[in-house]
Amino acid sequence: MFALFKKEVQSYFYSPLAYVISALFVLIYSLSFITWITSLEKLNLQFSFAAIFYDQFFYFIFLIPMLTMKTFAEERRANTEVLLMSTPLNVFKIVMGKFLAIGLVFFMIMALTFLYPLITTMYGEVRWGSLICGYLGFFLWGMGCVAVGMLVSSFTENQIIAAIFGEAAMLLLFFMDGFSQIQWMQNKPVLSSLLSAVSPKVRFEGFATGVFRLSDMVFYILFITVFLAWTMISVEKRRWNRG
Amino acid sequence: MVEIKNLTKQYGQITAVNNISFTANKNEILGFLGPNGAGKSTTMNMIVGYLPPTSGQILIDGMSMNENPKEVKKKIGYLPELPPLYLDMKVIEYLKFVAGIKEVPKSEREHQVARALSRLKITDMRKRVIKNLSKGYRQRVGFAQALIGDPQVLILDEPTVGLDPNQTMEVRNLINMLRKDHTIIFSSHILQEVSAVCDRIVIIDKGQIKAVDTKENLTGAAEGDIVYILKVEGECKSVEAVLKKISGIKNIMEVNYVDEKTSEFKIELEAEDVRKEIISEMLENDMSIIEIKKMTMSLEDVFASYTRGRSYSGLATEEIDDDKK
Repeated sequence: MFALFKKEVQSYFYSPLAYVISALFVLIYSLSFITWITSLEKLNLQFSFAAIFYDQFFYFIFLIPMLTMKTFAEERRANTEVLLMSTPLNVFKIVMGKFLAIGLVFFMIMALTFLYPLITTMYGEVRWGSLICGYLGFFLWGMGCVAVGMLVSSFTENQIIAAIFGEAAMLLLFFMDGFSQIQWMQNKPVLSSLLSAVSPKVRFEGFATGVFRLSDMVFYILFITVFLAWTMISVEKRRWNRG
Repeated sequence: MVEIKNLTKQYGQITAVNNISFTANKNEILGFLGPNGAGKSTTMNMIVGYLPPTSGQILIDGMSMNENPKEVKKKIGYLPELPPLYLDMKVIEYLKFVAGIKEVPKSEREHQVARALSRLKITDMRKRVIKNLSKGYRQRVGFAQALIGDPQVLILDEPTVGLDPNQTMEVRNLINMLRKDHTIIFSSHILQEVSAVCDRIVIIDKGQIKAVDTKENLTGAAEGDIVYILKVEGECKSVEAVLKKISGIKNIMEVNYVDEKTSEFKIELEAEDVRKEIISEMLENDMSIIEIKKMTMSLEDVFASYTRGRSYSGLATEEIDDDKK
């Protein structure tokens, strides 16, 4: 599995893909950071780095399908799926290898933004506890999105289709919370609370404000597990239906 | 070494492979011969464990793919029709990656990669990015990949497609070299190739096995037939009418129109003596024989007869029938 993991991580750096995505990611973060700190005096509130993630969440998760679009779609198009399937690797190892590889790439991209808190410590005070908590929450949420993106990629052999449907899935996940708040939903309390209970965005609020709840963490881990399992089933099923 | 029992694969309504059984013995080269779309690739994909069969059993070295996929897969090297390459990788990186996923022990990886490179004569290309290689080289990288892990069984799906004649020869030589310690199943729709290297041949058509035997037996079985080619000066119709009267002719296999005055027949005789009768009959009817020669059955004829049905009677016959009406 390690060989696959290594190859997957490398594959992001053969092409400009990883660099472009990191650049965009850092750009979004930086712009947001600048607007926050320049308006601090006006707003008279305490600034938190995690709030950047919460605020610009939508832009960040928009980048994730670009990382995941090729995972299975490309493998299928280039006929390399046969290679993976005819070696001792099983579907579990293939999916996990790819997932962990994207995890590492995502982690590296995220780590680039850590530069800002580091600089801030030199001139001010950073509350590390809440900072780490925010980053952890964002990482978990991101990995959930990665799992969803991988599932979408396993449905098709076209990267572009995988990216577009991946974005659509991100939109759905993002607006789930907002949707549970609308008037129509308010009249159906069961449906509304159910929707907001499974909305990953609500779970992030705790992390973003520096409150670590085990239940939130368990939620994300379950979320990831469900989508990875679904991906494995989808990959396996495609093998049966091929032709 | 490789046992296939009653293997069937259905894609929805279509039966791609229909209840086939055959065995490849240890250190044997089995040719898998059939026209395009006969089910060769589907069968191979099932042997390597990529496609699950609808029913039937595949045993590699006595082990079933269902019970012990990991061990079975280690015994197989597979070169699919389209070599499974990561185009962004360098040749050496790719082969090392394959060694990794095939779980080759770390200490052996270097050695195995180097050996595969030298066997396919691509050592010079090892630092090149695969997407910059030509089709022939890509095919060879794909072949090298199949050799990694030192598998006992090699499954090669049309390994020489897209290669130039020299490269084809090299691949054939390589297969010959590997025959000492590998069981090789390789598919092709090119007859000379199969007859050049294979110990035994499986002829498959429309998902069914038409024949399994050695090349000698396959052509030999057909050689029991006495087939002559007869070139006569005379119209197709009238010559055929004369031939039909001769009782010793078992079968008129082919009628070829050469020009207005000349026609060519492929005929099967019951005994060699019938030849004399044909000649005298021709002379009697004032048709001079330009050529009469005995046919040796090539594998091509065998293949044609197995995949198309055995006998063939020419169009001229039908025309005669029409005239009678």
